[in-house]
Amino acid sequence: MPRYELTLIVKAMQRPETAATLKRTVEALMERGAVVRALESLGERALPYKISKHNVRHTRGGYFLVDFYSSPKMLPAFLDHLKRDVDVVRSTVLRNEEKETGSARCCVREPPSAK
Amino acid sequence: MLAIRNVGFMQCVLSQHRLKYSVTEFGLRSLFSASAEVKSSDDMPIQMDNPYKELPKGCILCNITVDHKNVQLLSQFVSPHTGRIYGRHITGLCGRKQKEVSKAIKKAINMGFMSVTFKDPSFLKDPNICNIKHLE
Repeated sequence: MPRYELTLIVKAMQRPETAATLKRTVEALMERGAVVRALESLGERALPYKISKHNVRHTRGGYFLVDFYSSPKMLPAFLDHLKRDVDVVRSTVLRNEEKETGSARCCVREPPSAK
Repeated sequence: MLAIRNVGFMQCVLSQHRLKYSVTEFGLRSLFSASAEVKSSDDMPIQMDNPYKELPKGCILCNITVDHKNVQLLSQFVSPHTGRIYGRHITGLCGRKQKEVSKAIKKAINMGFMSVTFKDPSFLKDPNICNIKHLE
């Protein structure tokens, strides 16, 4: 199963409500047969720009990263579900591939002389 | 007569410069003799790094993974006044890394990590990597 990363920006809420939102999201994932690997919090901070969602103009939000494995077929349905969630401001799912380190091909040729 | 005058002049000049070589009135040739008092270590090559050594190739982001979550790194390649991404001639990055940075910045903006029109104020004091002078 390919590995995905969900970047979730939730509305600035009190701790129990944030926890409830995250729980809902992860349960929705697991219902659709995903294996949640990790859930990281990037803290609550001011958004880089004001985001209008569900008739609310948000200035602050909590950032969370969910690492999961799932079938690609369930993703459109899941994203649709997230769109309907009032507490979620923005959600993005990206493919997370394990890159091989040690690609020694970087900058074999001379870079353009800027100085 | 001219010869003697010249020798006198030569001796004057040479004595001013305090040469080690011994000069007589008739022996200007001793200047060019091989048996002058020269230390053998004077002529040895001076130890130094190879002046023709090629500088190590590679742009500044060589072997550094560019991530869309690393907003501080990405902000270094963005104008503080307008938030626009600097071109290759300013950043000095190689083709591949410039593309990676550009894509990562656009991704970060879209996902809500980075601002569109300005650089995050907490990153304004970061050291200037790019080849650009800002109007103060």
